[in-house]
Amino acid sequence: MKEIEEILKEIWPKARKKHLFPQLPMPQVVEGGEEVALEMKSKQLQISASFLEGMKGLISLEEALEAVLDHGISHYMYCPWDFHTHLTLYSEAKKALKDKRLAQKATSYFMDVVANTYCVKERETKLPELYRRLPKEGVQEILASLYQKIWGIDLGVEGDHSERVRRLARIPYLEKRLWGESIKKFAKVIEDLLEEEIKAEQGQDKKVPNPLGEHSLDNYSLEEIDRGLRSFASTVEDVQEFKETIEDLKEELSERGYAIGGMGRGEGNPIDADLLYYMKLAENYTLPIRKLPLEKSGDLHPYSHSPWEVGKPFHDIDPWTSFGKIMPGLTQTWVRREGEIYGEIESTPDCLIIIDSSGSMTNPRERLSYAVLGAACACNAYLKNEARVAVYNFSDAFRGNKLLLEFSREREAIYRAICRYFGGGTALDLEDIAYLLKQADQPDIFIITDMQITNLEKLIEFFSGIENRVTAVHLGHNVHTARFREGLKKKRNISLFLVREKEDIPKIVLGKIEEYWSSSL
Amino acid sequence: MACKNGYQRKVRDVYRFISENLYFNRPDIEVKGERYNSALLFGILTAIYGGKELIIGEPGLGKTTSAEYVGCLIYRYPLGTIWGSEVSGHPEQTEEKIVGRPHLGELNRGNEVVVWSNFVQIPVKIVDEINRLPETKQSMILDGVDRGNWEYLNEILINDEYVLFATANYQDKGTNTIIAPLVDRFDVLVESRHPGPNIALQIGRRSRLENPLRHPDFERRFHEVLRTQMPYEEKVSRLEELCDLFGEYLKEELGVEGLKKEERQEIRRELARVPVDLDANAFLRMVLAEFSFCHRFGQKRSVEQCAEGCHYTGYICYHVRNCASNRLPTSVIGYSQALAWFLEDDEVDIEHIRTVLPFALAHRVQWRDSYISKKEGEGRNDPLQIYLAKEATEEIFQRYNEQRDYLLEALSVAYQAFEGEEVTPLDGDHPLYEEIKKDIGSK
Amino acid sequence: MRNPFEEFKGQATKRREIPLDQILRSKEETLSQILRGYENLLKNEAKDLVWLMQYSTVIKAYTIAEEGIKGIDYTAEDIEEFCYALDKTDQIPYLITGPAGVYISALCNHAKEDEITLRLQDLNVKINLLGYRLPEGKRLIVEGNVGDFTGIGLDGGELIVEGSAKNYTGAGMKRGRIVVKNNVGFNTGHGMTGGEIVVGGRIKGLGKIVGGKIYERDHLIFPSEEMKPFFF
Repeated sequence: MKEIEEILKEIWPKARKKHLFPQLPMPQVVEGGEEVALEMKSKQLQISASFLEGMKGLISLEEALEAVLDHGISHYMYCPWDFHTHLTLYSEAKKALKDKRLAQKATSYFMDVVANTYCVKERETKLPELYRRLPKEGVQEILASLYQKIWGIDLGVEGDHSERVRRLARIPYLEKRLWGESIKKFAKVIEDLLEEEIKAEQGQDKKVPNPLGEHSLDNYSLEEIDRGLRSFASTVEDVQEFKETIEDLKEELSERGYAIGGMGRGEGNPIDADLLYYMKLAENYTLPIRKLPLEKSGDLHPYSHSPWEVGKPFHDIDPWTSFGKIMPGLTQTWVRREGEIYGEIESTPDCLIIIDSSGSMTNPRERLSYAVLGAACACNAYLKNEARVAVYNFSDAFRGNKLLLEFSREREAIYRAICRYFGGGTALDLEDIAYLLKQADQPDIFIITDMQITNLEKLIEFFSGIENRVTAVHLGHNVHTARFREGLKKKRNISLFLVREKEDIPKIVLGKIEEYWSSSL
Repeated sequence: MACKNGYQRKVRDVYRFISENLYFNRPDIEVKGERYNSALLFGILTAIYGGKELIIGEPGLGKTTSAEYVGCLIYRYPLGTIWGSEVSGHPEQTEEKIVGRPHLGELNRGNEVVVWSNFVQIPVKIVDEINRLPETKQSMILDGVDRGNWEYLNEILINDEYVLFATANYQDKGTNTIIAPLVDRFDVLVESRHPGPNIALQIGRRSRLENPLRHPDFERRFHEVLRTQMPYEEKVSRLEELCDLFGEYLKEELGVEGLKKEERQEIRRELARVPVDLDANAFLRMVLAEFSFCHRFGQKRSVEQCAEGCHYTGYICYHVRNCASNRLPTSVIGYSQALAWFLEDDEVDIEHIRTVLPFALAHRVQWRDSYISKKEGEGRNDPLQIYLAKEATEEIFQRYNEQRDYLLEALSVAYQAFEGEEVTPLDGDHPLYEEIKKDIGSK
Repeated sequence: MRNPFEEFKGQATKRREIPLDQILRSKEETLSQILRGYENLLKNEAKDLVWLMQYSTVIKAYTIAEEGIKGIDYTAEDIEEFCYALDKTDQIPYLITGPAGVYISALCNHAKEDEITLRLQDLNVKINLLGYRLPEGKRLIVEGNVGDFTGIGLDGGELIVEGSAKNYTGAGMKRGRIVVKNNVGFNTGHGMTGGEIVVGGRIKGLGKIVGGKIYERDHLIFPSEEMKPFFF
């Protein structure tokens, strides 16, 4: 093992230079793991001494080590690069194969092919030498045959896999923008082999090892996982796709210690994929709120010096810095400035979110609901400024289809309240709203609805009588929205947003918040 | 080829001495397999390069002391002299306190004679809490350091070497901001961080009375020279003699040699000769392109908003509001050369650039609110400005990594096209390809 | 003015080529040729983006398609790539499923391979007229669902659809075999004179059938007591 460590110390700087200096710590050499050369845990490469010892008669230690490093670094530097890419590849593979384990295997093998091919094409590497000596069975044999064809290097594969390999060889592995399509094609070609491999694993009760390391959530730190989920939420087509992927990975995420509220909360909270989706998606749209500046006192006081010029008044001359002289270039005069004091301290108001989850609104657990997304963005903006948020989620409130969440800063609870969907009629109970408004000091109100509310007139009357700042967002234009607009057009504390396309909701809601707070400063 | 003539050893010894005895903090960056504390490393690089460094941090975390120690050892001035030359930032600072004042006796006799401040006379210039100075005074200091010229009452003093360390607290009530045109003139921004409770306790246990860099006797002698009215050139040689003596004291007592003036000048010549390799060159071009390009308006301008739906929304140009100044590449290359020299590397490579770039970029970029919002909640160890710059650097590096060969080819073809050869410039998605075409077309 | 790219003089790196690059390049070239043939067909047959499904137009389109694919060296995978290219409007100016189906049929009928598998499960559009005039000795397997007029004029070949088909499946077929694993639509076998249609699922309706056999879920439903041949 010492010998390997010595060789590693020599080779590592060269490998780093070859790959343009990846930000990876020095790899570690570990005992054990004869069948697997490499493991990667949160950027730490761990190389198996036993594996390298096992390859001794077949290939020199230096070459084997260099090849293993090239493979590991390529995964870090090219494919998958980050957790978001890994998730995206997995999601596409799952669409093709419909089975979680098959998709995981396909993703792992695909990433290997991409990373290895990238390495062979773009860098001087000993990977072909290593692959020539590795055992070739099942999928590994097909991949070795594929490498032979697409690298143009003999790897000692003899079996006839021409039909399969011909199809695999047509896939553009190094076109990153086509990876989504490519992995689906790749997966379909080797689907039967993957099924055989899984059967064999079940029979032996042991995983078929990938000689150059497995790909799993262990490869990533919790921060990388969190960031990957955020990016993934913003790139998937709909909530179902996100949900499906998260459901598949729920166990692994929990084992890693990833909980819905963020990292490090342990395995206690089960992950709700819908909630996680809106949470992560809303993080892409969060709005920065300017801190409240001090009030101006209105009084002028001496602040700094500037040179006195002939013609300027005398009364602000500072004799002490002017050396007792009144002459241009020497004499200094005070520049006065308005003081800043703490006047009436305004803090960010709390916010009551009123969200309509009647039958006419989109069910957020089935399709992307921009109403829920808008509410989530607003929630994030207020929470970030240490304000509290309450939620009134209503459908037919008088029949009990409502949810009241009192003011709090519990993000998860607020999201659960926002994402709740009743799907019934549409009627608000204004007493509920009045009750919640009393729990805080003049909170803001965000109401998101399509305005098809049975007791709309009562709502208009209610809003006419309050001074809280109200941002009302309504979807589409109908006779009710016109009535709402007409009924409240004279109220200066109420802003209305007509949304023609649902995609406008996050932007407008957030912009208006900014305007509000700007105007109040 | 880096000159390995022992100067690097001396400078590295200074780093080692300060980190082991004076400025205790954790290493927070890694370059070429070695870990360094960024505030101290960049302080050293600033001192040998002769740059301008802005150090931020919470009060009491060693912003000023790190600069003082570096200035003291590299330039061989006793600590007390450095203290006496510092300008502290408060709104009532005047030009007389910063630059110089009239000789009062001569003034009463009707003669204009200037008594220069220590700040302008010695090469190590430290401004404490520069953001508390009014803008006019900030500008005055930066002008003086940029040009090396200080003027007062018709007299001029010219520094032939100088380095500026400025400290600033985070923006809070009662302080000015340093406006963009002024902050752009700093080469790098670093944070002096909390060292953690264990190291902090060690700092707390040290005696305040024992500072090996203080020497009252030398300080008196320096003060006497500085206050005389002899011509500045003569004063400089007298000061250098004292620096030599103080340097010998440092070597005997502390085992660390500072640098003589000729050595510092030679080092600067060596720094300028460190070549930049092609990867570093091409990568930096890519960075500059992303921070200055605008498909719609020709270049980034802080008064012009980026268009939604632009093809280039995937690039950094979409996330920034202002245009990168020409000081950025100057700072990056200068400090990268300094870093490569410090590490005894033969040339500047992409790792040097990637290490230096975030610190040269952090204070110069105005990010769009949407980008800040997306990133500010992420876990990090750096202040937000530096973190965003590091993220942007890595993002651009990934793009460079993917298309490196093609980009190098594109630049090679660009050379030919610029020379008038009949070649077609290569096309690519990155803004740099557009910029190349503009350069070729505009010849 | 000094050349700002001076450092890169003579630095054009010889980019390493691996066989994968050649394979992909060849694939792109073949696809371009196939696309050109298709565009040529559209230019001749669907000038106003309208194509009327008629006996004579189909024959004419097929002839033009055959001309268009002459000399192109392609494989079954290239045909599949072309099908997916039809889905992407940035690669193809416009898609009209009738001529597209005829064109694909020509490609299949003249392909080198005797057995062709088209994996079209992920295709958004359902292509009509697949399997037109599939000759004897050819086997075309389509994974996914197909459109109308599938296998019309089948001429001895075997067409297997591992999905559903729509209306007029096997219309006018002369001989050969069509197997549809799931359902088919109306007018199935309309005008067929010979051959066999085997449907694993439901048949919504039969057309006016002259000859041949039709099975629904392993039961022979034509000819039967209830369904006699039709004479035009």
